[in-house]
Amino acid sequence: MKRMLHSAILALLALLAMVSSGLGAAKTDKVVNLYIWSEYIPEEVIAAFTKETGIKVNISTYDSNEAMYAKVKLVGKGYDLVVPSSDYVGLMRRENLLLPIDVKKIPNFGLIAPQFTNQSFDPGNGFSIPYMWGSTSLAINTQVVPADTVQKTADLWKPELKGKLLLPNDPREVMGIGLKVLGYSINEKDPEHLRQAFEKLKTLMPQVRVFDSDSPKQALLSGEVAAGLVWNGEAYIANGENKAIRYIYPPEGFSLWLDSFCMPKGAEHVEAAYRFIDYVLQAKVSAAISESMGYSSPNAKAFDFLPAAMKNNVIVNPPVQDAARGEFLDSLDEKTLKIYEDYWVKLKTK
Amino acid sequence: MKNSSSFRRLLIGSTYFWMAGLALVPYLILLGASFLERGEGALVSSHVTSANYLHLLSPTVFSMALDSIGLAGIAALLCLLAGYPFAYVLAQSSAKLQPLLLLLVMIPFWTNSLIRTYALVMMLKADGVVNTLLLAAGLIDAPLQLMYTPLAVFIGLVYTLLPFMILPLYAALKAVDPRLLEAGRDLGAGRVQNFIKITVPLTMPGIIAGTMLVFLPALGMFYISDILGGARSMLLGNYIRDQFLVFRDIPMGSAASVTMTLAMGLLLLLYHLASRRLGKEMLQ
Repeated sequence: MKRMLHSAILALLALLAMVSSGLGAAKTDKVVNLYIWSEYIPEEVIAAFTKETGIKVNISTYDSNEAMYAKVKLVGKGYDLVVPSSDYVGLMRRENLLLPIDVKKIPNFGLIAPQFTNQSFDPGNGFSIPYMWGSTSLAINTQVVPADTVQKTADLWKPELKGKLLLPNDPREVMGIGLKVLGYSINEKDPEHLRQAFEKLKTLMPQVRVFDSDSPKQALLSGEVAAGLVWNGEAYIANGENKAIRYIYPPEGFSLWLDSFCMPKGAEHVEAAYRFIDYVLQAKVSAAISESMGYSSPNAKAFDFLPAAMKNNVIVNPPVQDAARGEFLDSLDEKTLKIYEDYWVKLKTK
Repeated sequence: MKNSSSFRRLLIGSTYFWMAGLALVPYLILLGASFLERGEGALVSSHVTSANYLHLLSPTVFSMALDSIGLAGIAALLCLLAGYPFAYVLAQSSAKLQPLLLLLVMIPFWTNSLIRTYALVMMLKADGVVNTLLLAAGLIDAPLQLMYTPLAVFIGLVYTLLPFMILPLYAALKAVDPRLLEAGRDLGAGRVQNFIKITVPLTMPGIIAGTMLVFLPALGMFYISDILGGARSMLLGNYIRDQFLVFRDIPMGSAASVTMTLAMGLLLLLYHLASRRLGKEMLQ
């Protein structure tokens, strides 16, 4: 019995080894492993890519930058493409977790509008290629308060919004409001400026009814809050359900998000990854993704392929002069992060 | 014989392996990390320090921890107040009915508590079930503010944790010898006096066990205060999660986590000692 058990275990181990080595030795350029936000790329696009190139796309998904970062940092292998947001591109680039990308190998890179390339989190796009973008800005439920109540970020301090405000449960975005109102950058590192923003935000706390980054549309739609800082994807859905939900781009500026393709250090199918990026960057494909997912394409030519309803929707496609006031979130050094943390805990404890 | 003993060894061995590999080792890593400094670029640096534990005593963090303990304490008290009468009625009801009533207490357990918390959102929000019913009945003119209030947090905590209170209380109440109550009555004690002098002391182990079983999870259930309370106050659970995920300070998160586990362990030890003393007193 004992011997039988031993041999059974050995056989099992051998089988396992065979299977795993078989997986590892999959043909180098006939497959690409994509690790992407959930519900962030339409299946039709994947199918069309495989049909055209014969490259199979294995998709796994994540729902937070933190989860993706932890996996790439701790495991490292197994993914050829990841899609971090701008601040995590900055972080992963600085921590040497990414392979350099040669934009010359991506002919369609030239289609990307200049306001999305060469950003502070990745100068020269040596490590990241923009995929989709959007904003985090102010939404108002005009059934609860008149539309003109909130026209700029400073209006959030108005007495009529007391107990009716929603903020993201995210220290960077919340500090960003305080910084923008005072005219500073959302990537501010000067401790004195951060302290001023904190003092300003302390007076905003009585206004706040709820901190929610997961599904803020729900509190807006139910009329629980009158205004809030939400990302445009949530505002788009809320506006689709109730036209009284409006989305504005305040004059003080606001934060932009940009998710980009990056190759982690452990990527094994680099050529296939290049082909995938180039395929997705085509104007028609990028427009199809934008239309199906409700996010904005950084592709300058994609706009022409969008249906009229999408073109005119300012939540998805802000006018150029509005978008120009946006600023991309970059990663912070550990010391500055500690300052943010201290203020965040202080804002949340009485 | 030989076969069964090797089979047994395999079973016991795998249990030990499971406990050591998946509970003890990760915990030791956590303990080790809590004495390190965060690294620039790396997850931790090799510099040994006790700064993380000292930081837990800083006024901001300490008052946040006190808030969490207060919240969990109130939740435990509310559960006790709601659970004791429930368990009392349960223990008094007919023997046929008891299994059914117990089943009803258990059924909500079969659904994930996160899903039940979202179900509470559907009940409590401004255009939710409760407000719609009250408005339709003409009892209120405008929706009540239920969501994102401390009330909603306590509703959520009590709803989720009540079974943990009821079950040990029920077991303790079942174990009370009815003859003791009869003897009390014979000696002239009224129902109230009987209850205070006999039932409550005899069910004290159940009261302590139930309170612990509610208090300890309540300390960690930050998602209930996030979802129902609007995340306006930070709790220990949020703090630990933020350290690991948002601020990437693994040593600090480890230190907070280790401290919380130690505090819970201390409470369990006190419980153990108290219940042993109570048991001894009862024997005498």
